[in-house]
Amino acid sequence: MNKKEILSSLDMLQNENLDVRAVTLGINLMDCVSHEIGRFRENIQNKISGVAKNLVSVCDAVGEKYGIPIVNKRISISPIAVVGAPFSPEQLVEVAKTLNETAKMVGIDFIGGFSALVEKGIAKGDQALIEAIPEALTQTERICASVNVASTRAGINMDAVMLMSKTIKKAAALTSDKDGLACAKLCVFSNIPQDSPFMAGAYLGIGEPEAVINVGVSGPGVVKNAIDRAVSENPDLDLGQISEIIKRTASKVTRVGELIGREVADILKIRFGVVDLSLAPTPHVGDSVGEIFQSLGLTSIGVPGTTAALALLNDAVKKGGSFASSHVGGLSGAFIPVSEDLNIAEAAANGFLTIEKLEAMTCVCSVGLDMIAIPGDTSEGTLAGMIADEMAIGVINKKTTATRLIPVPGKKAGDYAHFGGLLGHATIMPVNNCNADNSFVKHGGVIPAPIQSLIN
Amino acid sequence: MNKVIISVLGQDRPGILAAVSGILFKQDCNIENVTQTNLQTEFAGIFIVAIPDGLTPSALQETMKKELSETDLQIYVKPMVTKPPEDAESGHDPYVITTRGPDNKGLVAGITKTIAAHNVNVTNLTAVFKGGLEPGDNIMLYEIDVPASADFTAMHDELRTRADELGIEINIQHRKIFDTVTMI
Repeated sequence: MNKKEILSSLDMLQNENLDVRAVTLGINLMDCVSHEIGRFRENIQNKISGVAKNLVSVCDAVGEKYGIPIVNKRISISPIAVVGAPFSPEQLVEVAKTLNETAKMVGIDFIGGFSALVEKGIAKGDQALIEAIPEALTQTERICASVNVASTRAGINMDAVMLMSKTIKKAAALTSDKDGLACAKLCVFSNIPQDSPFMAGAYLGIGEPEAVINVGVSGPGVVKNAIDRAVSENPDLDLGQISEIIKRTASKVTRVGELIGREVADILKIRFGVVDLSLAPTPHVGDSVGEIFQSLGLTSIGVPGTTAALALLNDAVKKGGSFASSHVGGLSGAFIPVSEDLNIAEAAANGFLTIEKLEAMTCVCSVGLDMIAIPGDTSEGTLAGMIADEMAIGVINKKTTATRLIPVPGKKAGDYAHFGGLLGHATIMPVNNCNADNSFVKHGGVIPAPIQSLIN
Repeated sequence: MNKVIISVLGQDRPGILAAVSGILFKQDCNIENVTQTNLQTEFAGIFIVAIPDGLTPSALQETMKKELSETDLQIYVKPMVTKPPEDAESGHDPYVITTRGPDNKGLVAGITKTIAAHNVNVTNLTAVFKGGLEPGDNIMLYEIDVPASADFTAMHDELRTRADELGIEINIQHRKIFDTVTMI
């Protein structure tokens, strides 16, 4: 082997925060169905703890073998609104507690799939699950909920949008002592992917296998360092050349993710699913998507030029990743979660980044208005309007978008909200027309699915 | 047909390989493998050569020394004993150990002692010590084959402890990760 190649790979692996951000084990719960709540809870606990019993130890061993830590080991499950359809909201809160205990038993930090798919209408199980969400996320730590309210083929279910707005407000109120923490575990989606390994939006789709390993590889630090190194060697690089550098880096990162995911899957004798190419930041210096914008020559994420830079970044990551792996899926885009990225949180606090700019940026990347702390007195109508706007971007552009908005109880724009751990902290961003009633969203009904031709 | 190993050492200059291979050709020898390395200003070459019946290793060594007497090249020829192939069941896993840190005497000895204690074979070593405290200037790269019978976790832990004592940073990773990153 070539010494230069080993050392350059080692730099990437050791010094630039390359890790495998998430190995997520998807587990189908359809065969756990029962009309009897005690039996159902027992079935799901037995199934999850059985399939996932070696997940953490195998991930740790494979991480050590390759010298690349697998930071998060997680589980996604079939949507509880479907498998737990016979139950009442109160019973579904008990189901959430069982899932929380099971997560502790197998040593993982999050289970995703306390979810419902309601883009075209709300069934009985969906209604119960959505009603259960505020209590379920308050009484547990390790459960993530998601609700898909829109799709390109179905349109936008505005009744569900309004219901989710109320649900978010209630979840925030129940966790007012923790700055509305429950809302940080709740995503509202359009075009939700069935195979995403990333929380809070992971769930196992109905068309997925009995069990599957999906992998999320991070790498914002690696991409930033590759750009910095190339630009310092040649300040005259044009953007086509920079795109090429990002593409090559993404390709290497993806190959690492697939190698590790496949080995974990082989050892567990579970099918390997996809690599999710998303650049997912954490609240640590050197592990930020926001910093990449500065490396590209912008004063800060949020200033004019940001959307173009993000389009370049996201496209180059996808091109490199899709060359490196034939099984790419999940969200596969750059994440811009405000509180989870130190640099993005600073840009928001300094006024460089506004909600409107974030919304524009979500036209060219995933995931959406993510981890944004907003004033606690934001009205249900305004919150529903924000969700509806983001859903419209996803539906019209045939892509996944989502909101994870946290109306922080008792706090106003400019105040500080703290969620802890990987969820981070952020200054509360101002919301336009914050307290107003919004009769548009209260009309309800479904915004029809869009035409697929006449694409302007 | 017998095989010999020939080592050639001397100051590097143009024509060493031509001189050595020319003599071997004249002696009706067949070169099977050659590797050469240049370290700073020195040349080191190792040849595995099939020699004709009737030519002994010592006779070949004498001929080569005579023909190359005008040069400073040191020649050594030794008969090669071919080992039977190892059992298929005793698999090996290739790992790469990299170290970086301030230069000190005893770094190679310190690391290799631990590797040897676990009966693990080093298949390739590249080390560059420019001296001084700059970690990037002092690098060791070991490629090792870890037999299935070795206690990898114990060796891993001992190497880390040893590296701490030596004041260097160490990484131990399965070779596949480098192949994955660098090859298409």
